[in-house]
Amino acid sequence: MLMADEATAPPWKASVVAARRGDPSAFEQLVRSVQRPVYGLALRLLGNEAEAAEVSQEAFLRAYQNLHRYDESRPFDLWVMAITRNLCLDLLRRRTKVKTEELEPMKEILPSMEASLEEGAIARQERQSLEEALNTLSADDREVLALYYVQRRTTKEIAQVLGCAPGTIMARLFRAREKLRKKMTTEEPT
Amino acid sequence: MTSVECPDLEDLFNALEAGEGSALEHAGQCPLCTAIIEEHRLLEQDLYRLADPLPPPDLVHKVMARVAAEPTPARRELVTGLSILAASVVAGLGLLLFSDAALSGASTSLARLVVDGTALFEALLSGAHALWSTAAGPVAALLSLILFSSLFALKRLAGTGPTPSEA
Repeated sequence: MLMADEATAPPWKASVVAARRGDPSAFEQLVRSVQRPVYGLALRLLGNEAEAAEVSQEAFLRAYQNLHRYDESRPFDLWVMAITRNLCLDLLRRRTKVKTEELEPMKEILPSMEASLEEGAIARQERQSLEEALNTLSADDREVLALYYVQRRTTKEIAQVLGCAPGTIMARLFRAREKLRKKMTTEEPT
Repeated sequence: MTSVECPDLEDLFNALEAGEGSALEHAGQCPLCTAIIEEHRLLEQDLYRLADPLPPPDLVHKVMARVAAEPTPARRELVTGLSILAASVVAGLGLLLFSDAALSGASTSLARLVVDGTALFEALLSGAHALWSTAAGPVAALLSLILFSSLFALKRLAGTGPTPSEA
């Protein structure tokens, strides 16, 4: 019976249980496993590397402090990402204004899956245009596009991170994509 | 520019997702809608090519340095639980000891519960006695039926459980 439980237990459960008991290496393993999507989401929302790193640290610290409240049936990465998102939104609200100029350094930071030589300069330029257009969208639009296309999350997972009904995600995705399409269309040289 | 016959784009994409609908039928014959759908498809392809950036190499180290200064989650849980318990006990005792009205109310409620409970039990006993003396046969049959149904249900429940070896 115990063996069956272990086999069906989610992969993060053992690390969470050990981390709750105070095993730092177990928590470190959890951080390593989810640091990239957490930092990626923070950077997409904030558009600033230093702030994204700071918020990611804070999110992991909050996760550690509230580990006893964490429901193990929920994926650990989605839980930490929900914390990260809330911290990012708090920071965005505190900002007096969000300027697209702030997002300039992101152009060369955000990589693509395809960096082959054949793609070359044209692909980089297209990606850069897409990133620039993406950065002009609202945080709501950026997060749903980033989670769905960049992180390849399902609508159910996205709903868990955003704290909304899964049925609303596809409509949000479409609206965000349509805004992005219009941005890209107006930016295209004639 | 969208012609007047063209459906709302959100309706069109809902129809696309569902795989049916009048909007989809329209799009099949409308070059404008077809072009928009194609643009969305290409945009999706480009979006799928984007990737999350690598986090700073020292992120984990910095997180763990901050974590090291924190109490362990289990200890934090114990402290939180004890704090809540202590606060509840203090608040409850304080309310009772420092409020004459609350203390008197609690005592009256307790006394009423004891008196009313005894009277209710006696009334039920008397009713059962009267029922038994007037219709002993049907009551006995009904009680037997309830007893046997319960035993049968318990047997069925016990029968569906795992065997000791399975457990």
